[in-house]
Amino acid sequence: MRFLILALACIALTGCTITNQRLGAETDIGKPPPNSKVLLVRPDVSLALLTASGMQEAKADWSKAGREDLTTEVKVALETKAHVFEAFDPDAVQDPHAVQLLRLHDAVGQSIMAFNYGLIKLPTKTGSFDWTLGEGAEAIGHDRHADYALFVTTHGTYASAGRKALMMGAALLGASIPLGSQQVFASLVDLKTGRIVWFNVAVAGPGADMRTQAGAKSLVESLLKGAPL
Amino acid sequence: MNRLTASRRLAAALLVGCTALTGAANAQTTPNLRAPHLKPDLTTAEGGIWDQSDKAESHVRASAELDSDPVLTAYVGGVVCRVAPEYCGDLRTYVLDRPVFNAAAAPNGYVEVNSGLLLRVRDEDELAFVLGHEVSHFARNHTFARFQAQKNTANAMMVLTAGITIAAAGAAYSTARAGGPYAGQNINTISSTARSLNDLVYLSSIASLFSFSREEETEADQLGFQRAQHAGYRPGASVDLWNGELDEARASDFPKVRTSEVRASIFDTHPVTSDRIAALTAMGAGVVPAAASPATTADAARRYRAVVRPHLGDWLKDDLRRRDYGQTLFLIDRLAGEGEDLGLLSFYRGETYRHRRAPGDDALALASYRAATVQPDAPAAAWRELGQACHKAGDQACAKDAFSRYIEHDPKAQDRWLVEADLKSMQQAGGS
Amino acid sequence: MKLFGQLCAFAAAAALLVGCETVASAPAGDYAVGTAYRVTLGRQWSDVSAIMVGRPVKVRLLTVDGPLLNRLYLTDGLAPGDFLVKPAAKERPTPTWRAGLSPTEQVEFIADSVAALDYERVETQNLRPATFKGAPALRFDITAKTQGGLDMAGSAEVAQVGDKLFVLLYLAPHEHFYAATLPEVETVFASVKPGA
Repeated sequence: MRFLILALACIALTGCTITNQRLGAETDIGKPPPNSKVLLVRPDVSLALLTASGMQEAKADWSKAGREDLTTEVKVALETKAHVFEAFDPDAVQDPHAVQLLRLHDAVGQSIMAFNYGLIKLPTKTGSFDWTLGEGAEAIGHDRHADYALFVTTHGTYASAGRKALMMGAALLGASIPLGSQQVFASLVDLKTGRIVWFNVAVAGPGADMRTQAGAKSLVESLLKGAPL
Repeated sequence: MNRLTASRRLAAALLVGCTALTGAANAQTTPNLRAPHLKPDLTTAEGGIWDQSDKAESHVRASAELDSDPVLTAYVGGVVCRVAPEYCGDLRTYVLDRPVFNAAAAPNGYVEVNSGLLLRVRDEDELAFVLGHEVSHFARNHTFARFQAQKNTANAMMVLTAGITIAAAGAAYSTARAGGPYAGQNINTISSTARSLNDLVYLSSIASLFSFSREEETEADQLGFQRAQHAGYRPGASVDLWNGELDEARASDFPKVRTSEVRASIFDTHPVTSDRIAALTAMGAGVVPAAASPATTADAARRYRAVVRPHLGDWLKDDLRRRDYGQTLFLIDRLAGEGEDLGLLSFYRGETYRHRRAPGDDALALASYRAATVQPDAPAAAWRELGQACHKAGDQACAKDAFSRYIEHDPKAQDRWLVEADLKSMQQAGGS
Repeated sequence: MKLFGQLCAFAAAAALLVGCETVASAPAGDYAVGTAYRVTLGRQWSDVSAIMVGRPVKVRLLTVDGPLLNRLYLTDGLAPGDFLVKPAAKERPTPTWRAGLSPTEQVEFIADSVAALDYERVETQNLRPATFKGAPALRFDITAKTQGGLDMAGSAEVAQVGDKLFVLLYLAPHEHFYAATLPEVETVFASVKPGA
């Protein structure tokens, strides 16, 4: 229902992506110098079609398009801020230490979602946003002399035409039908210290369809707006 | 009200239409097999299922349960290729160290085989039949057929409930049936109670696509049998395998497992029933030569045992984690039937009694450990456990001797200092 | 991203939080474990005992960064028949402690319980003597992996006092987290004293 209201409210606006971000305390120091090297870990994108009956059909072509469009737009965004972009394929990593760090990032990301964004609060994690992969993190970008690693994960659904029609029909009857949405999670890791300096959870607005170049551009703009880069 | 009646009539009409369509599809007699080197268009539903299978496969490659022994993996992959020569290059085999009987072939060619299955097949012929069965699901695109069937059901259900409760039906149905984040709720209903939920983690997003219909299971039995037979394997192996599984189920400690049915894979909703076994027996009877000689089957068992011998101890240790001691004892007895590896098997028999701790098990464990230590292949731990068991039974002379022999066999054991302390206190108490 | 298996299913039941307990603070200082003993915490921990499913009443769980990143289990005295991990179904029993277990069997009970928490490849190393409230105890280290392949490290202390078993168990990812909190954990282990 919430998405329906927001979707209706956003119809007239194109950059209507809703974000909810966190900044680590050290970013008070300021943004990194130009020409900092940022590794974009290949975005993990899972997009599906939400059919009228409620079944989700995984769409490999949408996931591929989303992955490629997000990568291109992140590259553009970083280079606009005078940073150096490098794509990073997590599946091609050989160094066992780097492999462990990537898996640790998964665990830290889940912990952030559960205890920072989630409904359960840990008394030991109130106050400033304080999450780290530890000082071994530089092993992720070691042979590439990178300063930061940016992780982007997306999953979500797009409603089929049948589903949209159903929604309209149901709305007339007074019932609501979820229309599908796409969530994007992003985290920025300072590879020198291992600290997660920035984390963002975004819900894509109607003008931010990552399956298209223009939509991905809008989404990435909203996503990275508050990032300390 | 008029709107409702109209939509109900429409629903009925659609349902009839759907059934008619499915009926037409089943009328085919020669099975269509997927083409080798098939790669679906990314834009299709098949492409989406393939993509999800790719994700499951990359999780398995990172998994802690992946068995990294290249010799074993190559062996199992070799059997897969023998029963599926036309798909050999398309199939990638992974062995997972999980103590449950299971094998599955995903639409993208990723094949997983559990150590629990490798522990339970008696020879390569039985292994070939199971792999042939799973490959037949792959060859006939049964996962895609499941997907289509689910879609039809979902649409029919939606139309039927198009009156008032449309939102509730759509939401509830999608969480329970679709491969979304709540697919786990469906998984609980399809897996047998004795299986761990962990076994379904990798394919969970598409697990519902592996719960094949009774017709699909029967077809896979038939085609799997043919594949194995074509590759030169013993025709009776399929019947032996399923009967062995039924016997193992009956040996369980848990009443629920004893009375529940046996399945070809953990995803199956359709059990291995007596009529499926009868069908396989009939297929075997029609083949010449009808049965292999006892010498040939013993030879086949010995050759298979040579392949899995390095893993036998670890797999039995994993099987003990299930804590179904009746079944572990059944497996050990069957493994011991060939007369090989008696030191290792007696040791694990002892371990089973030691863990079970039913009345009288102390004595049974002691006897098993003792039987193990007279065999050349007894693991070093057999002496330590014999020592503990004797100590418990009050036989200090046996305990002292066994502990000393343990230290001789494994001087670097991490509990050496504990055993030596026990020895010392026994010597002081005994005054010798 | 995967859902947690073991948290109080908050993602699915977000709208139904009635009855779901909250996380308490365990401040630096004395922390009582039942009536049997107390430990001294050198820093603040979060007491997530109430929100962990599959955890029996006698087992406390403390964390700093969340249960995926560090866990400190502290048990009250386990009686024969008690388990460290609650079984999910009757047909999938978890290890139970019995009377008359040898020291190596006590270590095995803990290693098997860690495996029942869905960790893989659980191994124990570096078995050594220790004391717990003056009684002889065993210390040992643990290595394991999560299903996703993240290397875990741990350390445990187990002691049988009378007819009760006491277990202190620390688990954390090997990368950074294990070593980061280990000094604090060592002082906690060493600080065991009789309950007030």
